[in-house]
Amino acid sequence: MNSNVAPMRTFGDFFHFFIQELKPRGPWITPFNVISIPVILTGVVILVYRFIYGLGSVTNLTQDTPWGLWMGFDVVTGVALAGGAYVITFVVYVIKVEKYHSIVRATVLNGFLAYCFYGGALLIDLGRPWNAPNPYIGNSFGFSSVLFLICWHFLLYMVAEFLEFSPVIAEWLHLEKARKFLKSLTLVTVVLGITLSMLHQSGLGALFLMAQPKIHPLWWSSFIPILFFVSSIYAGLAMIIVEGTISHSVFRKLIAPNSHHSFDEIIFGLGKGAAIVMFVYYFFKALLFIHDKQWEMINDVWGYWYLLEVIGFVLVPALMFAFGFKHRSLNIIKTAAVMALLGIVLNRLNVSVIAFNWYADVHYYPSWQEIVVTLMVIFSELWVFRWFVTRMPVLNSKH
Amino acid sequence: MDRRGFLKTSLVVGGTALSCNKARAQEQHDPDEFVGILVDTTRCIGCRACEVACSEVHDNYVPDVVNDGALETRRKTSDKQWTVVNKYKTDKGDVFVKTQCMHCYQAACATACPTEAMKQMQGGPVVWRGNKCIGCRFCMVSCPFEMPKFEYGEWNPKLQKCTMCFERLEQGQKPACVEACPTDTLMFGSRLKNLEVARHRIYSHPDNYVHHIYGENEVGGTGYIYLSAVPFEQIGFRTDLGTRPYPEYTKEFLYAVPMILFGVPAFLLGLNTLTGNNKPPIEGEFDSEFEVTKHE
Amino acid sequence: MDSFTYVNIFETKGLEYLLLLCFWALFVYLIRYLSTPAKKHKDSHR
Repeated sequence: MNSNVAPMRTFGDFFHFFIQELKPRGPWITPFNVISIPVILTGVVILVYRFIYGLGSVTNLTQDTPWGLWMGFDVVTGVALAGGAYVITFVVYVIKVEKYHSIVRATVLNGFLAYCFYGGALLIDLGRPWNAPNPYIGNSFGFSSVLFLICWHFLLYMVAEFLEFSPVIAEWLHLEKARKFLKSLTLVTVVLGITLSMLHQSGLGALFLMAQPKIHPLWWSSFIPILFFVSSIYAGLAMIIVEGTISHSVFRKLIAPNSHHSFDEIIFGLGKGAAIVMFVYYFFKALLFIHDKQWEMINDVWGYWYLLEVIGFVLVPALMFAFGFKHRSLNIIKTAAVMALLGIVLNRLNVSVIAFNWYADVHYYPSWQEIVVTLMVIFSELWVFRWFVTRMPVLNSKH
Repeated sequence: MDRRGFLKTSLVVGGTALSCNKARAQEQHDPDEFVGILVDTTRCIGCRACEVACSEVHDNYVPDVVNDGALETRRKTSDKQWTVVNKYKTDKGDVFVKTQCMHCYQAACATACPTEAMKQMQGGPVVWRGNKCIGCRFCMVSCPFEMPKFEYGEWNPKLQKCTMCFERLEQGQKPACVEACPTDTLMFGSRLKNLEVARHRIYSHPDNYVHHIYGENEVGGTGYIYLSAVPFEQIGFRTDLGTRPYPEYTKEFLYAVPMILFGVPAFLLGLNTLTGNNKPPIEGEFDSEFEVTKHE
Repeated sequence: MDSFTYVNIFETKGLEYLLLLCFWALFVYLIRYLSTPAKKHKDSHR
């Protein structure tokens, strides 16, 4: 990909190279660009408006519903969907299953970018974002706060993910010595990254522990942290399947032909893992169902909604993963992955938005501006992801 | 805090001085002791003088008490008004209830705040400090009474809620609402004294009160405590909040954090060592099959 | 309002252990199911 092969000696060389790489490549009029550019521009206008006239001018947030789509989807759901990075680095670097090595770079990049953009979404949602450095500096450590923990973990995890990905950047810049050094850090950052992930994936659930009287009892449990952690594992696996499938068809040219077949094998392996994790998660849910005697609440709209989530989007995709693996059907596994992701979205939105203040007379629903900004976050992440993938050896790693 | 400082000084001064200090400290009012306000709803006449006084002292919206007819609707506190009085029709006649931040002694909002912007001050009042707040609204999510209110219409939003007039307390004054109350519905004092008065009223007029002090045990105890003639759920109180202090809901999780940070990295590195270094890649279940298909 | 009566907080423990037995039975079955891909089906695919 890189035309500039000569190593860079001076800063001027680097600058020139960097500017060259920043320039857009490929055709401008693609379906993705046609859809995403207007959305991103509209989103920017909405954000300008939001920072002048306040959160209420563009969102449907109220005193009863302080967290809406931006917090519930962009942050709480987005981070769960980015769980693939810690799962796959665990498999490849800690227990050394070489089979999945070829997807590590794309997955780690995805995880890193997801955190950057969802961390950014958190900034949009903050009422006073200029104070955002406060939890990190000086006299304002709120040690007792779960959100304080999450703030720190986001930052540290982004650093860890960046270091995990940095050998690729060094390779892109032809800095062989730096690459070797950065590569030697990988195991440490992976171990740190997994530990941090365990804590902030569960921490996002722990955010809602004190909201006990406001969340519908079918969704609130003192075990939310554990449920969030376990479901983030299969969310990550399903996300790799879906994202990898899309990458492999969009960036077909960048991938060596023989790795397409090995990618199918990877999908089967991930599907098997997802089947087992989801099966366990389903029984966690069943245990809570029995422990909290939730059958008393199951016979109304909320109960049916709960059953739809737990059976329709956890148990069914779990069985589909198992069936698809047994019968070697990629299509079933991919469908199951999409359903599992929908189940995660449903679960996270249920806890954070839908079943939050469920007894309120006027229920929250997102405004169109909130939806556009959410899409903007997703699309801009995809833009940056595309930039990385088409310039750096992400999908076509040599090792 | 003060107790720790006290211990330090007494170590310096020595044993004899210690006993002197102790004796003196017991005589004085302990500034750390929690204060609160007792609201006796049987005495309230719904004049809303407390609403006016509160808003005047804190530069908020001052309601037109005579003409706005607000008692006919059910209101909540807002970012414009820190306290409101509501009227409830019950079988013992109209009951007026003042609502505002309850100033929990284990405040969920202060525990939730990542920057200590929401903070429990000396003596119990929970106060918001703008220079620290990042506007995450986690306090609003956590508060069991939904009291912190956010200014959604401002570019530089504040969180608005009752401060128990902390700045007035520091100057030795009483909260504005207490001073304004013409019927002694509101009584300011130490929590212990308030509870004693409340119990005394219940026991000396057992037919006039339900035998429950709202806020004595609810959510671990609150600064505001209430007496009522009718069951509390009939006058807009949530009675399902439990007696467990809300910060305890996250206690186990926060305890586990350092434990996981100690244990998991070590466990992962151990696992990594056990699987051996620089070994050929482990064969997955499908690698062999994959080879087969490739040869075909 | 403040009455004192006995509440058995472990009322559902027996059911929970039953669920655990179901889980183990099904889990062993699932692992066995997943450990051998259906070869016959795969052949018919080609």
